[in-house]
Amino acid sequence: MSEVRETIHESDDHHVASFGSTMTTFAVLALLAVIQLAVGFNDFGPMKILASLTITGIQVFVLSVFFMDLRQADKLTWLCAGASVFWVLIMFTFTLTDFVTRHMAAY
Amino acid sequence: MAASTMTQEAAPVAHHFNNMLQQQSTVRLGMWLFLVTEVLFFGGAFCAYTGYRIWFPKEFEAGSAALNCGIASVNTFLLLTSSLTCTLAIRAAYKNNQFGIKLWLLATIVLGTVFLGLKGREYHLDYEEGLIPTSRTIVVQEKQDDGTYLPKERSQFAENVTKVLKQEGYKTEGVYMPRVQLFFVFYYVMTGLHVIHMIIGIGLLSWQLTLAQMGFFKHPERYVYIEVMSLYWHFVDMVWMFLLPLLYFAGPHTLEQAIGQFQMAIGLASGHHE
Amino acid sequence: MTKVPELHYTPQMVPMPELPPEQEANRLHYLNHSYGIFSWLLTVDHKRIGLLYLVSASVFFLFGGLAVALVRLNLITPTGAILELDQYNKAFTAHGTIMLFLFLIPVIPGVLGNFLVPMMIGAKDMAFPKLNLLSWYVWMAGAMFFVWQLTVGGLDTGWTLYPPYSSKYSHTNVLYAGLGIFITGFSSILTAVNIIATIHKMRCPGMTWSRLPLFIWAMYATSLIQLLGTPVIAVTIILLATEKIFGVGIFDPALEGDPILFQHMFWFYSHPAVYIMILPGMGVINETITCFSRKNIFGYKAVAWSSVGIAVVGFLVWGHHMFLAGQGYYLGLLFSILTMLVAVPSAIKVFNWSATLFKGSISFEAPMMYTMGFLVLFTIGGVTGLYLGVLGSDIHLHDTYFVIAHFHFTMVGGMLMAWLAGLHFWWPKMTGKMYSDFWSRLAAVVAIVGFIMTFIPQFILGYNGMPRRYPNYAPEFQFLNILSTAGASIQGIGYLMPLFYLPASLFLGRKAGGNPWMATGLEWQVPSPPPMHNFDTTPVVYYGPYEYSMPNGLEQLEKAGMIFSDEEPNIAHAGLSTPEVIRGS
Repeated sequence: MSEVRETIHESDDHHVASFGSTMTTFAVLALLAVIQLAVGFNDFGPMKILASLTITGIQVFVLSVFFMDLRQADKLTWLCAGASVFWVLIMFTFTLTDFVTRHMAAY
Repeated sequence: MAASTMTQEAAPVAHHFNNMLQQQSTVRLGMWLFLVTEVLFFGGAFCAYTGYRIWFPKEFEAGSAALNCGIASVNTFLLLTSSLTCTLAIRAAYKNNQFGIKLWLLATIVLGTVFLGLKGREYHLDYEEGLIPTSRTIVVQEKQDDGTYLPKERSQFAENVTKVLKQEGYKTEGVYMPRVQLFFVFYYVMTGLHVIHMIIGIGLLSWQLTLAQMGFFKHPERYVYIEVMSLYWHFVDMVWMFLLPLLYFAGPHTLEQAIGQFQMAIGLASGHHE
Repeated sequence: MTKVPELHYTPQMVPMPELPPEQEANRLHYLNHSYGIFSWLLTVDHKRIGLLYLVSASVFFLFGGLAVALVRLNLITPTGAILELDQYNKAFTAHGTIMLFLFLIPVIPGVLGNFLVPMMIGAKDMAFPKLNLLSWYVWMAGAMFFVWQLTVGGLDTGWTLYPPYSSKYSHTNVLYAGLGIFITGFSSILTAVNIIATIHKMRCPGMTWSRLPLFIWAMYATSLIQLLGTPVIAVTIILLATEKIFGVGIFDPALEGDPILFQHMFWFYSHPAVYIMILPGMGVINETITCFSRKNIFGYKAVAWSSVGIAVVGFLVWGHHMFLAGQGYYLGLLFSILTMLVAVPSAIKVFNWSATLFKGSISFEAPMMYTMGFLVLFTIGGVTGLYLGVLGSDIHLHDTYFVIAHFHFTMVGGMLMAWLAGLHFWWPKMTGKMYSDFWSRLAAVVAIVGFIMTFIPQFILGYNGMPRRYPNYAPEFQFLNILSTAGASIQGIGYLMPLFYLPASLFLGRKAGGNPWMATGLEWQVPSPPPMHNFDTTPVVYYGPYEYSMPNGLEQLEKAGMIFSDEEPNIAHAGLSTPEVIRGS
């Protein structure tokens, strides 16, 4: 009961990413961008949009974990990132359900 | 903590904070919270776009086919590189490398400005091709089956986009042209919002560059302000990572087409685009 | 860390001692440490910013009240007594938009949130003080621009701005009014960022999450909703503006658009917005109900997590505004079930508040009268919402006065009562002066009686079929309409009365002292008005926020060495409950 809790949960040695790590991340993102363009300039039928969005998803993950430093961020920051994605999914799921089912007969 | 030299005096902590670690941690959280709002903001626009794309896939494909992929591809790499330079600026601030801070911030600003220049050129080309959504209609003489001509009122935009698509070699059968305007509205709104965010970002980066010039970042603990700036800039990059496949590659494009479009855009080729 | 012995009762910190009168007169606090208009307009002190919000929100409340006076007066006769048809549309739109965007959403977060959040958690200021001031300016800019647009031509679309009427057919200032709302939205977002960052990062030592006052939990949940919902209304307004400016069809069915998409995006924010409005009010009720029943809150964890529950589930129910709009049938079913679910956290709170009252030592000062009004009226409002959430009955009740009565019971009978409770509870803390007990209680009675007289008839009108937003109605509804208007006048008097006795207390009221209500909570342990930086030394917290029920508190503190026995402590100002006051713990 007499303990005092700190409100800060980041460690004292919050370091900045090394030059090598930064360049590697950039190389990965550039490669993914090239793959994205390759997918874009070719015809894959209905798989194209799935492939594109998967690549985008990987890009977003790499960008946020490495460049935006989620890698060493505290749980609260991960919660911010996760909550924003989750809430966008709420909006998408319900609204697009309407778009898909609106003209379906009730019975 | 931060790599400060022995002769460096500590950065002053704001009066309502207890220590620098609390201040840095709070500033970081503040920016992440703001980015949550930005995700929801663009998310709303993307949600509306997706709804219509589910309903009108052919029209959205056609609209995308009329866009300039060359500029978009080049812009992708410009923005990605600017993300890199922004991250390098953080490291420079952390290491108290004043020249590095200014160099990398300036590089980010330059890359962002070139992006905006190319985007502006792209908008200008769209304008020249008449691809601005409008409610104006024109009267067209439509050839009937028996050879006579009857005046028909058509959407001006639909006429323009049909012309552009024919030039691209895109088959427009089964595409209801007035709906393609809906795609273009979203194209302008979504890329326009992205452009506004980039302009704000470049403004803030310039302000930080000015601060760096004034010696604000001589205290290495203040690297956190460049870090939150880069968080914003990375977010802008992330939005583009979604815009590219959803807007530009919804419809068919080829690499040759894109190269030709880019050359024409920057004036290396003349006349119509292939 | 000093080892704290096992105590049955203690306030959260040893209160700052009261100064003797001569020194008290010269004491510097947040109101008198600097003078001049710019010391107010350029302040970064969260307490002064709270007062800035108080003045401006009160002015906008008056504007909203004027608008509804026009509406209710017009409804005295079945064919409209004083307004033309389009004037009527502008009047009810003005009432709705002003009350929602310029009063209900910003008032408690702006006034009480700003003033109290840092103090309740033991901090010296908000996380971002300059951003706090910017937030007020952005809000004022948007609000003043919006009110100006309402006066130069008005807005007649209803507060819901549905296209294609708002984008294509309306000749009023939809675009600029929308811009005003858009700007005020930024203020919402900035305040939310500030509050969340403050609560996470600036709690004093010992202030764990389970020792936070429940007002803080409520403000946190409110800020979550503001953060997640406001951007969507922002982008919706942008799309509406694009449609209007360029004449294109984003939501216009004649031009390939979908009007229901607008409703989805609009209500994705606007339903959680009603929780932005009510949650801070519920937070206030936690504070007043514990203080005026001298009892710890029943079910702290349940109340705390129900705030978060309302915030989360509130985002899953927006389609219940669109049951008859044409959205998909199966989606409507899903939204209806989820709407039943969202009532649960609110009900949990009402149960816990009732249990808090049980065997408490209840007194009916003005804050408590408003609190009791809240409990009854919000409950009625809440359960009538269930009728609207059920698909079958909503077919009959949608767009009738039943809906209007429902949301006025929750917003006015709930939120406005809670705001008045909070204003009256913390007024002595903010100003250092006590207002008239008699006039404040009378005003509460007048307001509550007037409210019931205004809105119960509207439930009856609604299920008998009187549509909302209509300037004319069937003659058989006239009696109830007149009754409602009469009630509205009485209600108005009740709301106007504080405008007299509260400012009067600044000049004529007695000095309130640090803790006139003998409440717990860190904000009550400092003198009134509080010092510039809230606390002379950083508080350290050992116990929960509502440790009211404890006998022999003074003795215990003496034993623990937390107060010194060589001077006689002034019990009334030390924030401790005397044994005579505590009953039945």
